[in-house]
Amino acid sequence: MSGVESRVPIGLDRETSRRNFLKTAAWTGAALSAMGIGGFGVAVRRAEAEGEYKTYEGLGDAAIVAFAYQLELLEGTFYAEGVKAGIFKDAFLAQIVAIRDHEMAHADALATTLGQLGEEVPATPQFTFPGGTFGDAATFLELAATFEPVGIGAYQGAAPALKSKDILAAAISIHNAECQHRCAINILNLINPPNDLAFEVALPLQKVQAAVKPFGITG
Amino acid sequence: MNNNINVPGAHELARPRTRRDFFKTLAVAGAGATAASALFAGKASAKTDDVDIANFALTLEYLEADFYARALDAGVLSGDALGVVQNLESHESQHVDALVGLLDSVGATPVEKPTFTFPADAFSSEGSILDLAATFEPVGVGAYLGAAPLISSPDILAAAGSIAGVEGEHVVAINWLLGVVPYANEAFPKALTLDEVSAAVAPFMGGEMLSTGGPKLSAAEAYRLAHV
Repeated sequence: MSGVESRVPIGLDRETSRRNFLKTAAWTGAALSAMGIGGFGVAVRRAEAEGEYKTYEGLGDAAIVAFAYQLELLEGTFYAEGVKAGIFKDAFLAQIVAIRDHEMAHADALATTLGQLGEEVPATPQFTFPGGTFGDAATFLELAATFEPVGIGAYQGAAPALKSKDILAAAISIHNAECQHRCAINILNLINPPNDLAFEVALPLQKVQAAVKPFGITG
Repeated sequence: MNNNINVPGAHELARPRTRRDFFKTLAVAGAGATAASALFAGKASAKTDDVDIANFALTLEYLEADFYARALDAGVLSGDALGVVQNLESHESQHVDALVGLLDSVGATPVEKPTFTFPADAFSSEGSILDLAATFEPVGVGAYLGAAPLISSPDILAAAGSIAGVEGEHVVAINWLLGVVPYANEAFPKALTLDEVSAAVAPFMGGEMLSTGGPKLSAAEAYRLAHV
């Protein structure tokens, strides 16, 4: 995995408390708790689009892929640092390693797609994580639990705005992997049962941008 | 550990490539098969396609919901498995409701719930239930991933994506119960063609092919479509 560390610079933000940092992504929790209500009407409303994809329209496929590439690098870097920190072992370590590899494979696939489109691959951002993120498993997993719904929401929101059916097929597969990560992180967070959502939640572009900005993605 | 992952390009993930590929099984199934004849008549509207796909998904959700309801009724589940399966049953039922609601909302007719058959010992133990669940869930994921690029309506695509992701979570929860580590172990969950989905679920459909809610093809029509 030397490729990950060598190409991705990261920093730890000692100034910002983790609590404040996590507050930035508080909407994620709100969105998820809103899902806790069952019932026919809610189910139908949840399954029907609420127009999140409209916020991605006009960007164009290349810009969407470039943004997704940066999200994957952020996630891949986060998990790579988690592995390096030595805070996990056994099944927990195996899962964090697998997620790291998935995110970097997603980034590579998206970079390949950008190449096929004749587009430049964006420079790797200088990522910043709140101080203490990699200090212990619980802190790390708390942040992981906020990352995954952002990735899910971004792909799910953007998918209907993609013009290319090939890129859509790739995006919807990656989206599924991110959903699988969400459930796996639930398992590591000892949430039981871990499959606690009936419908995944799409996010509008602006909420995704706001969520990842503190980590160094400004695009 | 190595990071040796086969990274597919977008073009390799995009399968089936056409609506015709996806629904090919319906045409070659021959006498007794049900299909949406509009698909093959060259006059299918985008809306018709989406309705067929939504009804196809509804059939799968009916199958999964029925399976988990029977699993709970069997009374052999406890502990972690009981909690997971209760949620599985709840989710699949909500997916059924959502798809029926979607079809109603566009003025289409949802397919009726089929009669499903399961192996005699399917519900005899926690292990047999989880083994079968472990075969169902990736099929559900693959069906949605295969169908998604063929959907015209962004609203229906958004709904399909929302549901597909949950099926992916189900795969992980079942892996956890079965002791598979890591629980989430696919970088690129696979799309399936309708051929593959049909083959996987045919044993539970009494040998019938999946219905997309369209009018039945005559044997002669099916034969012609399979060979033209």
